[in-house]
Amino acid sequence: MSVGRCLRPALVGLVLVTAAGPSAQGATDAETRASNFIDALSANAIEALTVAEVPRTERIARFRTLFNDHFAVEAIGKWILGRHWRQATVDEREKYLALFEDLIVVSYVDRFAEYTGEHLNVTRTVVVDSTNVTVFSEIMRPTGGPPVRVDWRVGSLDQTLKIVDVVIEGTSMSATLRSDFGSIIRRNGGGVAGLIAEMREKTQSLRK
Amino acid sequence: MNAHPFRRALVRWSAPLLVLLLASGCATAPDPGDTVAVAEFKEINDSGEPTNRAVFGFNRFLDKIILKPLASGYRKLPDAVQSSVHNFLNNLRSPVIFFNDILQGKANRAGSTLARFVINSTVGIVGLGDVADGMGFPFHNEDFGQTLAVWGVGDGPYVMLPIFGPSNPRDTVGLVADFFADPLNLWLNNIGYESAIIARGGLRGVDERARNFDALEDLERSSLDFYAAVRSLYRQRRTDQISDGEGTAILPAPALGGEEPLFPAPAPGGEISRAN
Repeated sequence: MSVGRCLRPALVGLVLVTAAGPSAQGATDAETRASNFIDALSANAIEALTVAEVPRTERIARFRTLFNDHFAVEAIGKWILGRHWRQATVDEREKYLALFEDLIVVSYVDRFAEYTGEHLNVTRTVVVDSTNVTVFSEIMRPTGGPPVRVDWRVGSLDQTLKIVDVVIEGTSMSATLRSDFGSIIRRNGGGVAGLIAEMREKTQSLRK
Repeated sequence: MNAHPFRRALVRWSAPLLVLLLASGCATAPDPGDTVAVAEFKEINDSGEPTNRAVFGFNRFLDKIILKPLASGYRKLPDAVQSSVHNFLNNLRSPVIFFNDILQGKANRAGSTLARFVINSTVGIVGLGDVADGMGFPFHNEDFGQTLAVWGVGDGPYVMLPIFGPSNPRDTVGLVADFFADPLNLWLNNIGYESAIIARGGLRGVDERARNFDALEDLERSSLDFYAAVRSLYRQRRTDQISDGEGTAILPAPALGGEEPLFPAPAPGGEISRAN
């Protein structure tokens, strides 16, 4: 099955973004800022997550902070629900967003413990529209083999930059989650309540 | 491409494919008056979902008892052995990739495939080494499903094939066409070594499964609906392959600052306490 190649090295690569950004020539301010933002994320991530002998609970806490600081968690969560967001009650929205954050954190926190020296190069940046820049990167594996393509969609609101999507070898994490959650909603008769119950169950099983 | 085996392939494969499609249990279509639900149903484009899910379950069972254990063992081999096998299989695929490069009118890529085949079959010792990669001819894949897409053929509804996994009518035709257009398969078939064709296919399956091992484990572990996640990933991956990886800058994605406020109140933290 040729589904999203090598999710793990790609995510681990989030840890190591080198300073080799795109050439400043011709790059707009927005592009340079987005590229630097990804660099800064890498520095923080390496420092916080790849240190050995940190208990898992502490790594979860650090990952949560990093995730909230660098990702547009609410905007992503809302986009994933799509039309179902509007139908959800305030209580459901709060529960859903909290569980969404938890699910991502417990799903991905262990990837960083498996860091084996992947190396990430920013290759180019593209302005998508007035508020979005895509930062293209390649992750080189220490064992050789073809690099893994990872594109970071970076959105800006006022002066704040946040990642709104990560696209690994052409597969968007936000779009995949949208299909995954959307299917659960349909199979539970169209309400968000069923999704929330399944998210809670999954999160609890992944925490162990 | 030789037209003969291609036609034979279509004849031989269209019957079982048709049976498979007709036997598909149909997903319940939404009320035609509910335009949003109808649009969603069309977007999901999986009218045979109940049957597809059943086939997916069957495939997962086969994976659990055969493919996964084999892939697991294969991963324990030295990296050099694994990459040699992978290079060898890629090199055997060169003629099919070359045909498809040509059919898509991509002369540069066809040239690269040809150069790779010549270099890796000789200097690379029957394709075990990928020397061409370091000489400016990196590997790229093509298949007839992608060629049909480049020609403007739509993918059609999602289909979960037994053993072969996620597909659609277009990519299924492509799979069959590539199989019968493959010179090595034709030759092995002519000299009566069908078992070698099966062995090659099996090895390719194990190699592919091993290379996606961690990604699939992670996806299965963290997704709520593994089937839906695989369906989405398959389609995204195909779209990316068809555009030769050039389409990702314009994918729809979340945006910051929607027109409506997320909350009347401040956002909460996670349900797992931060002190945890």
